[in-house]
Amino acid sequence: MQDIYLGIDVGSVSTNIVALNNEGEVVHSQYIRTNGQPLESVKNGLRELKKNIDQNTNIKGVGTTGSGRQLVGVMVGADVIKNEITAHATATAQVVPDVKTIFEIGGQDSKIIIIENQMVVDFAMNTVCAAGTGSFLDHQAERLGVPIEKFGDMALAAERDVRIAGRCTVFAESDMIAKQQFGFSKGEIIRGLCEALVRNYINNLGRGKKLEPPFVFQGGVAANKGIKSAFEKEIGHEVIIPKYFNIMGALGSAILAKELMEETGSDTNFRGFEAADLDFMPSTFECGGCSNNCEVIKVELDKQVIAMWGDRCGKWTNSL
Amino acid sequence: MKVSFPYMGTTVVYKKLLELLGHEVIMPPKPSQRTINLGVKYSPEFACFPLKVIMGSYMEAVEKGTEVIVTSGGHGPCRAGFYERVHSRILEEEDYNVEFIVFDSMFRDYKKFLQNVLRIKGDSSWYKVGKSLMLVYDMIKKLDVLEKEVQKTRAYEFKKGETTRAWEKIQNLFDRAYTKKAMEEAFEDGKELLSQIKQVPIAENKKVKIGIVGEIYVVMEASINMKLEEVLGSLGVEVERSQYLTQWINYNALPKFMNHSHETEILSKGERYIPIEIGGHAKQTVGHIVDFSERGFDGVVHLMPFGCLPELVSQSIVPKITADLGIPVLTLSIDEQTGTTNNLTRIEAFLDLIKGKRVRKIS
Repeated sequence: MQDIYLGIDVGSVSTNIVALNNEGEVVHSQYIRTNGQPLESVKNGLRELKKNIDQNTNIKGVGTTGSGRQLVGVMVGADVIKNEITAHATATAQVVPDVKTIFEIGGQDSKIIIIENQMVVDFAMNTVCAAGTGSFLDHQAERLGVPIEKFGDMALAAERDVRIAGRCTVFAESDMIAKQQFGFSKGEIIRGLCEALVRNYINNLGRGKKLEPPFVFQGGVAANKGIKSAFEKEIGHEVIIPKYFNIMGALGSAILAKELMEETGSDTNFRGFEAADLDFMPSTFECGGCSNNCEVIKVELDKQVIAMWGDRCGKWTNSL
Repeated sequence: MKVSFPYMGTTVVYKKLLELLGHEVIMPPKPSQRTINLGVKYSPEFACFPLKVIMGSYMEAVEKGTEVIVTSGGHGPCRAGFYERVHSRILEEEDYNVEFIVFDSMFRDYKKFLQNVLRIKGDSSWYKVGKSLMLVYDMIKKLDVLEKEVQKTRAYEFKKGETTRAWEKIQNLFDRAYTKKAMEEAFEDGKELLSQIKQVPIAENKKVKIGIVGEIYVVMEASINMKLEEVLGSLGVEVERSQYLTQWINYNALPKFMNHSHETEILSKGERYIPIEIGGHAKQTVGHIVDFSERGFDGVVHLMPFGCLPELVSQSIVPKITADLGIPVLTLSIDEQTGTTNNLTRIEAFLDLIKGKRVRKIS
């Protein structure tokens, strides 16, 4: 008999699942592409998890985070639904206890979190500009015809420096084309791109913040060695990449779930692995009750409405 | 004449004054998606969000039959001072027939100010004008007292949305009151309404108080700031704004040498960060952050229209204030984007930060 706590991070690009045991060790983890279908990917993840763990396992608590946290929280029956900034910080503070600065770069957003004595004291999140995120690299990899997995090695192997404008993807792209025509190799251009992304990130998110070591770099983009070395060059200090760098959000929400359940001693709301086979129907409608015209999200299970949110006045949320 | 005004905050107040002076008032509709769409379509792309929303709101008011728009001018080197010029030119180009009466500070152009007053005064006697002004000023003071109560009560309400509904009822009560006595009654009824709201008991040391500062329009007008006050309220947070109408009037209606209003005090508090007038509400913003910090608030949310120059200046000073005083500040930039998910994530993380500071760990 084993007790485990689940953390589920539903992001725009990937859905990650982590299972922790009573000692806080990761006993299972998954990194799944969301492909625009958060519910499906979580269901697949749960089925996969069930296959891989002891049949006698007891799920003691579940936490969700990421942009799909609320929807998936309803689906699986989460005990903790937390924003991804807190979830990431929680995980990092446990893995690297003296961390002071967290760089997190995901598929569609990036964050910087400043920590003092294991407390979040400041943070910033970028969601308006694609130039500082993984999508930017994905897009350029496609343009150059280089698989994104090879990006890091090619950047490290480059011999010359080339400066590419990182202010905006559009400028970066025209700059890249120009530099290609000057005769720079693909590797050199990729290195230039990595440096451009880091410059953009530091300018956008680091503005006005005191960046102090230890630095921890996490999120899907941390897999890219080129970006890691660009960070080290930019800030002039070593950057730590934690073992579970690409599932830190899920790890954090599992830790939060574990802490909460241990503190309160209550039973989990987890619907069980059967949740993977239930037919959840999320839909939205515009409430015309007043001039706000709120977009209300409704989740149905077997034609029964189980959750609604998004209304500002509480008319629908309270109706259940 | 059929009169209207820009929609901002507690609009019953402006309506009341114009009504008392014998004008037919056309209420501008509360800014909706349509207002924003109209405003964005006809305003210059680079203009700030308040200009666009007010543009749309004027258009809707004219569609409802408005002949004259009464508005205030801006002061200092901020675009707001040119609002009326831009608005009236666009309205003219788009064949919206409307006239503007713009009140700039009376200390700048006394003659123009008097002319405007005479137009608004119409056939009313000076006695009536004075009486109406006093009545409306009294009403604003009462409404501000009640609104501050609303902003506290909302954090602990048992049934979500109950306080907001009560606040709407209160504004209606005042809308129907035209005499001093009726105002007094509306005030008492309003207090009664708020005291009847069932509250969840929260220990004093668990309460969280957040101040909202920034450019006046995005701070005062809930329909374009994601209803920030309600959002924070629903997360169990007491709020207080930097701007209330009473303060604005006290500050703008008195000449400098005898102006000892709350706002001058706030301005001096911020002077070590922004010593000179740089337009907009930048000086107020930093002053209020210092003030909220001194008064023991847990944090401040700083709102700015996307691309607002004065607020960009104050935003870049915020880290220094936080370093000096230790008060956490979250800056949110407001534009036509209506998706609230990202800002909600920021707000939730900000509250975690504040609560984490108390228990000295991430929570």
